[in-house]
Amino acid sequence: MSVTSPQGHAPSRRPASRSGLREGRAAWALALPFCLLFLTFTVWPVIQSLFMSFTDTRSRDLKTPFAVNVVGLDNFAKAFQDPLFLRSAANTAYFVLVGVPLTLVLALAAAVALDRGITRLRAVFRLGFYLPVITSIVAVAVVWRFLLQDEYGLINTVLGWVGIDGPNWLGDPDWSMPALILMAAWRNFGTAMIIFLAGLQAVPWSLHEAAAIDGAGAWKRFRYITLPLLRPTILFVSVTTGIGYLQFFEEPYVMTNGGPLNSTLSMSMYTYRQFGFGNYGYAASVSYIIFVVIAVVTAIQFRLLREKD
Amino acid sequence: MRRSSAIVVATIATTALALSACGRDGGSASGATTEGKDVSSGKATGTITVWAMGAEGEKLPALAKEFEAANPGAKVNVTAIPWDAAHDKFTTAITANKTPDAAMVGTTWMGEFAGLGALDPTPPSIDKSQFFEGAWKTTEVDGTSYGIPWYVETRLLYFRTDLAKKAGFAEAPKDWEGLKAMAKAMQTKSGAKWGIGLQAGGTGSWQTLMPFAWSNGADLTKDGGKAYNFDTPEVQEAVKYYQSFFTEGVSDKAAPATPTTEPDFASGKVPMFISGPWMMSAVEKVGGAGFKDKYSVAPMPTKKTSSSFVGGSDFVVFKNSKQRDTAWKFVQFLSDPKTQVKWYQQSTDLPSVQSAWEDPAISSDPKLATFGEQLKTAQAPPSFPTWEQVISQFDTELEKVTKQGADPAAALKTVQQQAESIGTGGQ
Amino acid sequence: MIGTRKSSGHWWLYAILTVCLVAVISPFVWMVLGSFKSEGELRQSPPTWWPEAASLDNYTQLFSRLDFGTYFANSIVVAIVVTAGNLLFCSMLGYALAMLEFPGKRALFVIVMATLMIPGVVTFVPLFVLVANVGLIDSLPGLILPFLVSPFGVFLMRQFIMGLPRDLLDAGRVDGAGELRIFARIILPLCGPALATLGILTFLGSWNNFLWPLVVAQTEDTYTLPVALALYSKGQNSTNYGLLLAGATVVVLPVLAVFLAFQRRFIEGIATTGIK
Repeated sequence: MSVTSPQGHAPSRRPASRSGLREGRAAWALALPFCLLFLTFTVWPVIQSLFMSFTDTRSRDLKTPFAVNVVGLDNFAKAFQDPLFLRSAANTAYFVLVGVPLTLVLALAAAVALDRGITRLRAVFRLGFYLPVITSIVAVAVVWRFLLQDEYGLINTVLGWVGIDGPNWLGDPDWSMPALILMAAWRNFGTAMIIFLAGLQAVPWSLHEAAAIDGAGAWKRFRYITLPLLRPTILFVSVTTGIGYLQFFEEPYVMTNGGPLNSTLSMSMYTYRQFGFGNYGYAASVSYIIFVVIAVVTAIQFRLLREKD
Repeated sequence: MRRSSAIVVATIATTALALSACGRDGGSASGATTEGKDVSSGKATGTITVWAMGAEGEKLPALAKEFEAANPGAKVNVTAIPWDAAHDKFTTAITANKTPDAAMVGTTWMGEFAGLGALDPTPPSIDKSQFFEGAWKTTEVDGTSYGIPWYVETRLLYFRTDLAKKAGFAEAPKDWEGLKAMAKAMQTKSGAKWGIGLQAGGTGSWQTLMPFAWSNGADLTKDGGKAYNFDTPEVQEAVKYYQSFFTEGVSDKAAPATPTTEPDFASGKVPMFISGPWMMSAVEKVGGAGFKDKYSVAPMPTKKTSSSFVGGSDFVVFKNSKQRDTAWKFVQFLSDPKTQVKWYQQSTDLPSVQSAWEDPAISSDPKLATFGEQLKTAQAPPSFPTWEQVISQFDTELEKVTKQGADPAAALKTVQQQAESIGTGGQ
Repeated sequence: MIGTRKSSGHWWLYAILTVCLVAVISPFVWMVLGSFKSEGELRQSPPTWWPEAASLDNYTQLFSRLDFGTYFANSIVVAIVVTAGNLLFCSMLGYALAMLEFPGKRALFVIVMATLMIPGVVTFVPLFVLVANVGLIDSLPGLILPFLVSPFGVFLMRQFIMGLPRDLLDAGRVDGAGELRIFARIILPLCGPALATLGILTFLGSWNNFLWPLVVAQTEDTYTLPVALALYSKGQNSTNYGLLLAGATVVVLPVLAVFLAFQRRFIEGIATTGIK
């Protein structure tokens, strides 16, 4: 069915085609439940929404989905001409380029510290670092607003001790984004951390022991044993965090509502507002622009972090 | 190779066919006002489903029981839905034809839902003069009325009476100069950091600004109510006045998106703000015992008149309701002055029916009475389906005006241009 | 456990981690403490830490006003079924994509990854119309079926299983085991940490899902916990913070329980057989 399957050009390491057939059948048996549910509840709505993005559908037209004008690429062109959309795209890029590495570094550091660095109280730290992920965003917002307060906020107070006059974080268009990046990294590194912990379990301690006997220090062991074996996990975390951050919505929605002066408006918020206005065709097209961006960024990550076997 | 290219060709052909089948019909008749079909007399029968949001949804069943008692054979099933994302719930339900018989609907959603063809016009047997005029306007879309205003709210000036006295003001400001003078005096003489808390643009800031524009006689529509009308001298004057609070250091232009209004009001840091009736219990909770004597509310200062924003919720019947008769009888029940008073006592929602305000339960509270006075002149924004989108442009421009000192005239020109390109969304 | 490493010499690491921990859990602690405060106290600025007069008012209000049992039951049933479905079906497909060769493999993987990258908001309304047309509105299956499998789960299992040695497969085949048996008996037991992770994340996502249960339910009997809590804590113009925090604290407890139960699998891990 697919022209890209290597089945036809299989190297001679594959045994006789009969077991290849058995393998293929077993694979499709395993894939079937997923595919059925997926086709119905995911692929069909996607096709519908993709169609909408090429039309001028508004909310009143959803009952009669074909009584709309097909406008081709007009919606997409309109998006690129809207300075608000371009601003939201720039904001999102800023957020992702700084936020993803920051989150990953924090998560990996925490995972390694918990897996190898300490022996006691691991469960306590594991749970503690994961708590931000499950704490209600309302509580998170109240505490962070207090932290970021201009006059009596904790961050500016601490900065004041070393003589720095901290900015009005949430009220200043230049500092609102860094504040949100910090908050997002804080909130999400727990998820990445537990995935790294799962991946670290797959690194056999025997390898570390052998290397230690050969005289390799902790950092060398980390670089040459742990990191390479962790590649598939790093790829996964990087891709999923990237996908999540490219669609960041909750933090700016709750903390700053996209302000001040649209400095924290994300592409997802922009899309959400357009859906709220009833511009379904336009909002669908913006969603698919976001999709293309995500796909490109993901493809780049796959390239950079590809499995080398 | 051939199989896959055949599939590709087939897909393209099908898509092309489907796309060519699309297209809108020519425009339908526009703007003819429709009158609702009348409702039968006699008792109601049958079961209706009703959606109501938040605390109202919680308390409505008790009231509905009285309706059921008066109309044996009728049953009202109330489903309470959260305010959070209630708008999305309504729009998706309308899309999939899964609407209830009747529902309570936020006033700013009326234009959109009527534009979707989802609502049933109000029958002539319901007397519109019993309601506040501004409140009734919230039910009017394109000349036709849908549903009734159920409860209302409006925006007044809240101010600390003790701090005002300290600053040398024994009563509320009566005009625009007076408001600014009092705010400034509170900063210099009563230790306030900011004289008055005004929203510096951003989402929803129009609800604080428009009362000034309306008090200056602005009309947000033109051409007989068929188009937006932002770029007028009246609105411009109001925006200039609003901007002056920020440029003269009376209001904080760097206030966070989630304001700390209640603690600031209680501590005296920001002793004035503009808001609705729900803030009374909020500031009293923070202010503690005895705080209710330390503040008061006053109508918007007069320029040409004193006007404010009227909001609240309307009660509508959906067009594809199968129990239309019973639903409208329930609506009629809700608009009865005695029911309105009862509802106030259960929910503290302000009645939309004017005669209900004469009841001692409401008229005895002086602060509430002030809300009642303002409601007589309060106005509603135009109920075009594109209102939300257009006014968000206004909020964005207002933010530039207050935070960056942009020129109000230029800002309003931009808003008007965008409003015209977006259009009113009417048929 | 980890041999001859000096576990005491890392006191500085413990110190740093503890400071980080305190910083990280402070909003959670504030949330729990806040659920015992009064409305007025919750609106103070700057926010207070310890309750001035701790009371159970918010909780008594929460449990008396809400039909808690129904909403909790709905949430639990939906979350458990969705988690179980994902653990099973995603690992099946993840294994196939990671280790087996079959026609359409690459295309399937690309499609799965593609849908992972599509913003959920764009398919929301078409999905709702579809669910309405097949008559699943206002029912638990309507809450469960669209989420029973997820591309995220497939991706996670695929990446993890790719890290397992392929020799296991050949060893199994040499022993005469069927493909499905190899999956069930050899591969799956080694997936402990990945399944635990997927289980936690899926449960969390399903448990906190708000928008979909809100639009699918037509009567309050089908509400899940997040929907019911939003109902009672948010007004048109104001929020009841006390109820909101009490609700948030109650809602977080099952997730904590699931996390604590599953995370033991991290320790057991694969210090087990199979890896040469």
